[in-house]
Amino acid sequence: MKYLLMCEGPNELEVIRMLLEHNKLIFTADDLLNLTPYHARQIGNNAAVKTALNLYQGNVHVLRIGDKLSDELKVPREYKGKIADIKKYCTKPELEMLLIISENKELDFEKRKSTTSPKEFSKENVIYNRSRYDNSTAFYREYYGKQINLLVDAIKRYKQLKGKHQRDEFYLADLLK
Amino acid sequence: MKLLRVRASNYKNCCDDFTIDLVAKSKRTSEDKEYELQEIAKDLYVFNTVAFVGKNASGKTSAIELLECSYSILSEFRLEDKHYNYDNVKLEIIFYHEDYIYKYNTGLKSDPALGNKANFTRQHLYRKKYYKSKMKEIYSVEGFEEILDLGELPEDTSIIFFILKKKATRAVYFNCDGEGTDTWRLLFRAMKTYKISENVLTKVIKVFDDKIQNLKMVDDKHYKLVYQNYVKELSDSELIHLLSSGTTKGVLLYIFVVAALENGFDLLIDEVENHFHKTLVENMISLFKDKTVNRKSATLIFTTHYCEVLDLFNRQDNIWIAKSDSKIRLDNMYGSYNIRPELLKSRQFYNNAFDTAVNYEDLMALKKELMR
Repeated sequence: MKYLLMCEGPNELEVIRMLLEHNKLIFTADDLLNLTPYHARQIGNNAAVKTALNLYQGNVHVLRIGDKLSDELKVPREYKGKIADIKKYCTKPELEMLLIISENKELDFEKRKSTTSPKEFSKENVIYNRSRYDNSTAFYREYYGKQINLLVDAIKRYKQLKGKHQRDEFYLADLLK
Repeated sequence: MKLLRVRASNYKNCCDDFTIDLVAKSKRTSEDKEYELQEIAKDLYVFNTVAFVGKNASGKTSAIELLECSYSILSEFRLEDKHYNYDNVKLEIIFYHEDYIYKYNTGLKSDPALGNKANFTRQHLYRKKYYKSKMKEIYSVEGFEEILDLGELPEDTSIIFFILKKKATRAVYFNCDGEGTDTWRLLFRAMKTYKISENVLTKVIKVFDDKIQNLKMVDDKHYKLVYQNYVKELSDSELIHLLSSGTTKGVLLYIFVVAALENGFDLLIDEVENHFHKTLVENMISLFKDKTVNRKSATLIFTTHYCEVLDLFNRQDNIWIAKSDSKIRLDNMYGSYNIRPELLKSRQFYNNAFDTAVNYEDLMALKKELMR
């Protein structure tokens, strides 16, 4: 059995990569299909994921990482027998909630959330090493790369703050050791 | 250095201005940027994998050999021992190197001395600085300035030497022929050149034949093999006979896969399905697409009859269909056809969307002959 980790965006992928590198997750790279997490929204249009599925003969559990993950994951017919189940791990409304929490600005954001998205709020308010948040993967690496516990704390606090996910929407915190 | 485009005239039986362009043309999604493309300069993306497809005798090999010819010039600054006629071939090679786009024009001429070498004639070298804002005009003549007064070289040495300066492996080419008894000597030489550990060799061999526990070179012609717990000392020809030819070819090719990924050079393979099992082809493609393994922007370029392999390509602009009427030409799947991206590429091949199917009437004519 292997996990197919499908991250919705490149930033989610970078977050997962950092957690894996620091061994903070309940699985290691060895447990992942083709030893790696993927950036893929769907299986059918991602050749890298399809190639990886072709290499492995056992059952695969799909873990989807994204903000809302409201679109249904369509499993192509040829992989239906291989995929045992699909679980969603959400950071809704947007991944930038983690940055806002790490900056202790969740109260400021609460006041503006009806008019401003977490992404827009972060672009205005999150600055690290004199660089303003720019929605780039490099920023996440710069921000959390050398302070992984800040990321782990943000993920845990997100679950405490946002305890209203749907029943099928798990939290990133559920993947932490 | 990364090759961007090559264009040839009077080359083999190919049409004039026979062009292979390795720069991404169609929309680049974030998933493509992660798996299908390499960003060699800001907003300048080339492919991780490239395929040439077509029926037999359509010119796939000519296409990949044109790339091999360009890489020979870029690696060794020379062309020798090719089995085609150099005379009157006109080449234009465009490459990216250290913030500049270089355009190199040359004619080729057979060297009159013994040996099968090409001389370079009417050489011109131009360059322009690469700017992200001018990405769409990288090939336009505008901005290119000729580099003059480069100095003198023997006529069998290209003036690209003055730019790249050092010989280096910039690509390795595998044709379908294999290296025969020389394979294992070549393999161990490659391991030494590219500093590949014995541990990697053991793991590669295990993929192909798990009965082999260890293999070491004693000298140029002799090998020590641990096979199902027995130690045997074998000559090169005995080794070739003991191990299957598929294993021998496959292990050599996989060692070059490792060398290409670790050193960032490109790998050219003619008829990839000739070398091994489909899963091993898929695994090779997967390795080139994974940036945690392919850290130095190596590109895998191959020809194939195996259209299912193309379903593992997310894009269409890195697939060329070779066709041969009176002359060989290449059609880019993205540029020349209007294929919906969600359709399986292999299915389109079977539907003959690219006019690549084997002629039914010819097949039946043969069968009728056998039915007599």
